[in-house]
Amino acid sequence: MVPAIYFDGRSTHATRVDAWRDGDMLRWRGANGMQEWSAPWTAIEPSARVTGVPFTLHVHDGGHLQIDHDALPADWFPRHHLIEHVVDGLERRWTAALAGIVVIVASLFVLFEFGLPWAADRVSAHLPRAVEQAMGKQSLAALEGRLLMPTALSVERQSHLQSVFHHFVVDMEGVPDARVAFYGSKALGANAFALPGGTIVFTDELAQAMPDDDAFIAVIAHELGHQANHHMLRQVLRSSGVFIVAGLLMGDVTSMGGIAAGIPAFLVDSHYSRGFEEDADRFAFRALASRSIDPVAFVHAMQALERAHPELKGEELRYASSHPLTSARIARANAASLQFRAAKTAAAAHSNR
Amino acid sequence: MHDETMASGVYLPELDVIPARDTTEVHRLRFHGNAGDYFRIWIVNVALSLVTLGIYSAWATVRTRRYMYSNTTLGGSPFDYLARPLPILKGRLLTVFIFAIYAFAGRIAPALQAVAALIVAGFMPWLIVKSMMFRARYSSWRGLRFYFSDDYAGAYKWYLGVYFLMGIPFLLIMLVSMMGHPGFGMLLGFAAFTGIYPWIKGHQQEWMVDNHHFGGKSFSFDDGIGNYYGVYIKAVGVALVWFLPCIALFSTAAVLINKGNPQAFNPKMPSPYFILGVYAVMAPAYLGVWTFVHTRMTNLLYNQAQLGQYRFRSTLAYWPMLGLYLTNALAVLLTIGLALPWARIRTARYRSEHLEVVGEGDLSDFVRDAFAHGEIGATATEMDSLLGIDIGL
Repeated sequence: MVPAIYFDGRSTHATRVDAWRDGDMLRWRGANGMQEWSAPWTAIEPSARVTGVPFTLHVHDGGHLQIDHDALPADWFPRHHLIEHVVDGLERRWTAALAGIVVIVASLFVLFEFGLPWAADRVSAHLPRAVEQAMGKQSLAALEGRLLMPTALSVERQSHLQSVFHHFVVDMEGVPDARVAFYGSKALGANAFALPGGTIVFTDELAQAMPDDDAFIAVIAHELGHQANHHMLRQVLRSSGVFIVAGLLMGDVTSMGGIAAGIPAFLVDSHYSRGFEEDADRFAFRALASRSIDPVAFVHAMQALERAHPELKGEELRYASSHPLTSARIARANAASLQFRAAKTAAAAHSNR
Repeated sequence: MHDETMASGVYLPELDVIPARDTTEVHRLRFHGNAGDYFRIWIVNVALSLVTLGIYSAWATVRTRRYMYSNTTLGGSPFDYLARPLPILKGRLLTVFIFAIYAFAGRIAPALQAVAALIVAGFMPWLIVKSMMFRARYSSWRGLRFYFSDDYAGAYKWYLGVYFLMGIPFLLIMLVSMMGHPGFGMLLGFAAFTGIYPWIKGHQQEWMVDNHHFGGKSFSFDDGIGNYYGVYIKAVGVALVWFLPCIALFSTAAVLINKGNPQAFNPKMPSPYFILGVYAVMAPAYLGVWTFVHTRMTNLLYNQAQLGQYRFRSTLAYWPMLGLYLTNALAVLLTIGLALPWARIRTARYRSEHLEVVGEGDLSDFVRDAFAHGEIGATATEMDSLLGIDIGL
């Protein structure tokens, strides 16, 4: 006999009953013994087990029996809700809860570190060029007149740099629509960044800081690396992916979602950028070498940049597309330069022979 | 506003109810959940959701909601959450898909996103109805389900149409400013705004309550639109009391810190510390005002509602609620979310302990109604939980 409360599904009248199993029937009887009900065992739909929640045994006609959480005999419905039975077992253990925390931290790490970038790259690889170009146009339009002012470079200087640029990019693989645009920008200072769709924004301040054409081309080559690898688009996709996932995790705490989602997005983004920077550097070294320019020009450009931002000396220098100027990058540029010179000497020796 | 003829079959059983009972009984809602149990349920379900890439999240939602519903009792009987995981999963996938498109549209072209936002706004009332129908359909007490009428016309009237009236204050401001009295225009616009907004909010609550049904009876709502003016006028006062000192404090601090280097502050690219500071100061002030409106509006909602011979008494108080929300927010932030279950449990406890059902009867006189309780898709309810529509129930 199991104490239960019976609701017939037609009214909210509660009847205290005792229920028992009788072969393939479930029977229950009012506490005063006046009334008795029954239902075939197979027609009963029990609710899944949840800590502290009473069981509800739904009967065919909309009625139900409510049985206290601890009162249901274990052998009554052993084959129902098998998955939730396992989950319920976990939910009862503090060890499982601790393991849950570990699992959450680990899977969040894997998701943000590998899952999102992977998905974002898959999507960006299949996006039409028109989308990328539209994005570039939009963002340039948003910057013009606010952060980017008309250039103050002389016409001769501009056309000189343009011709150097065209000479460099002509027939280069992976950057079909590359163009460079000069802007004056007090707010951004010495700066360059690649917008999706092909435009490279180059500030007057940076153009003036460059010691020679090779340094200018080194910066351009780096930005072309961003462009060839669709970094801007991938970055955008990755960060919107973070927002979507963060929103899902926050679930119904929507009011806090805005602030909380911004923090991981920021952390993740600055991290992604570094990986992209290295890709762009590699592209730049290769592009420079292929045009017979010593990659040491990249070191000169970086040093000039550091001089242009004296307040950041010693710290990690970043410009708008957040380029970390670390000794590691300079070291890699120097290594590329050594390789370039070695190859050149070898080629010279070869042709002399 | 409900359709009397449609519900006529529903009212018949009330004839049997003996009207003359002179004892008014008070039935308090009780909450029996505890933070320890709920924490384990929550953390295990979040972990499983993540490991299954979100697929399990629908089951997780059902389990955690069942815990909350079933631990809330009225007259000794628990409420029951009856939704099935699979429809929720379907709704969730669809919602994620729609939201992903929306988010991406904004990255390509803001104009595209504006169009998408307009489309969503056009669907909003429909969404609210569907969502309310879902919630009602899968909430039950003592074996009877709640029901929400599919009053789309009413939803479009009170959740979209009336917002066009909000244009009136702006028109007033523009007209009077053009006549050369901008200050007077602002004042007039503000007056028109205070005249319209509480009226809208009051009617939204009325519509919401009027369309709910339970146990063969329809909820009804007192006509007390005047009460809403009181709430919102006081809310303006509360806002001033909160924001003025906060802004004063923050600007003095900002000026003191920036004294040494005047060129440091760039309004186009404020430093992250500045933004963080703004959040740290504004969040409590915002919470202070929001809690006031939320508390008073919830009280009004229940205290003006009636179901058969039963009335409701909601006695949420401002300071305890504010203390609750502030400590919750702090605890959740400091524990990176681990205190969320604890926060939910204590909020649910406070809220249910301050809600009573008052009436001459022992709550056993509700009967099954004649509404068709068909299955209802979960997409709408998933959408609105993501968009954070404040339905206020």
